[in-house]
Amino acid sequence: MADRQFITLTVNGDRHRVPVAVQDTLVDVLRNRLGLMGTKRGCTSGACGVCTVQGDDGRAVLACLSLAVEWDGRALTTIEGVATPAGLHPVQQAFLEFGAVQCGACTPGLIMTAKALLDTNPNPDEADINEALAGALCRCTGHIKVKEAVRQAILRMAAATTEEPDGRTEG
Amino acid sequence: MFRYVRPRDLDEAVAALAAGGDSASLLAGGTDLLVSMRQGLVAPAVVIGIRGLPELNGIGPHGEDPLRIGAGIALTDLAEHPIIVARYPALAQAARSVGSRHVRNMATLGGNLRLPTRCWYTNQSENWRASRIPCWKTDGGLCHVIKTSTTCRAINSSDTAPALLALDARLEAVSVRGRREVALADFYNDDGVNHTTLASDEIITAVLLPAARVRTLFTKATARTGLDYGYGTLAAAVTGSNRAIRSARIVAGSVGSWPVLLAHAGAIIVERGLNESAIADAAAAAREDLGEVANLFSPPGYKKRLVRGLVLQVLEQLRRQKLPVD
Repeated sequence: MADRQFITLTVNGDRHRVPVAVQDTLVDVLRNRLGLMGTKRGCTSGACGVCTVQGDDGRAVLACLSLAVEWDGRALTTIEGVATPAGLHPVQQAFLEFGAVQCGACTPGLIMTAKALLDTNPNPDEADINEALAGALCRCTGHIKVKEAVRQAILRMAAATTEEPDGRTEG
Repeated sequence: MFRYVRPRDLDEAVAALAAGGDSASLLAGGTDLLVSMRQGLVAPAVVIGIRGLPELNGIGPHGEDPLRIGAGIALTDLAEHPIIVARYPALAQAARSVGSRHVRNMATLGGNLRLPTRCWYTNQSENWRASRIPCWKTDGGLCHVIKTSTTCRAINSSDTAPALLALDARLEAVSVRGRREVALADFYNDDGVNHTTLASDEIITAVLLPAARVRTLFTKATARTGLDYGYGTLAAAVTGSNRAIRSARIVAGSVGSWPVLLAHAGAIIVERGLNESAIADAAAAAREDLGEVANLFSPPGYKKRLVRGLVLQVLEQLRRQKLPVD
């Protein structure tokens, strides 16, 4: 197609050269071109947060409201890049322990939202947590267990930072 | 399908916009444009990506202007900027009340100021709209909300607009024809279709603010705490002490196609000071300034009662605030 072009996109540290159509959004490219199905396509209007990814500044952004061509040359983190070979990210671990999951459709978006919050504000208060989570919805249950998990992750990450000067968290 | 262009600087951007004319759309944060495109409300032939243009960045004193805010600033950065938080709290509060944090990380001040008006009848899918008779906004000749209206009554839901109007801000707009400044008070039209005076070849490049020795506050009434467009918003900025108020700019947002300066309410406060009886009378007088209100997204009569309550609440809070010091 004439309106197809190549963009360079660094996802979870891996550099890709991907053909995109001008109308493709970032979530289209992540799912359909790169096979990264963790980022969901939900309301496509900025209300649900299931398409949340982290931009190179660590902030949560919505992959469904971003044209892929605008991401040419940029880097981002998706849910697939959150765990390391050493183990789950503290946010993921806390979600497991607190059962902050029901059907799971919203979970990647919630985890990316929580991770973006903690990456940009290591010591958020209750209002900060509520504010961040207001942009990522769970329709099965609610945000109580999610908030408990986020609070646990804050404690874990703070403890890990104190124990290990390089900031790595426990495996 | 549209063509996407990415200008390297403002000159290229205004040239692309002038060439594209009415069929070009600017893309900054994208949080409104992409939704509008999906709903078939706009179908640009050219999309001009202006995110991150250097001329739209920066915040600080500039020439004669006490504060110049680049229109490309993300709402998150605006809400958290120390100068804005300390000196123009109403603007920080307004920026923070837009959408979700995800949205504010992407959406820009310029985009919020020119946010298209919204209506329960038009901001729907194309199929939904096709099941109705076209209205003023969709190339028809009636208003579904106020049947007798000869204009579109869609709501201007910008949160930063009422805050900046209370702060008496000016806008800077640039086109291939040059640069101009316009008072925010002259920027909006009371018309849901042509809701700003921005020409189709102009880009909002900055917001200019006067020196801040004012008490300011913004509040927003919504169905839920997060994410909603307001049922009504209220911004106020007062200078002087409670007994000797020098100016009072009180603005209601999300109640009409433009942010409404509540001139009668402000005049009462200037004349009588910021005290309980004047506040009560100002809140009652707000009704006169509102005129006919389209109760979109709310029950009949609700918005006028709401604005009265918001004026009471905001002015009472301002009355108790300490005077700003330099």
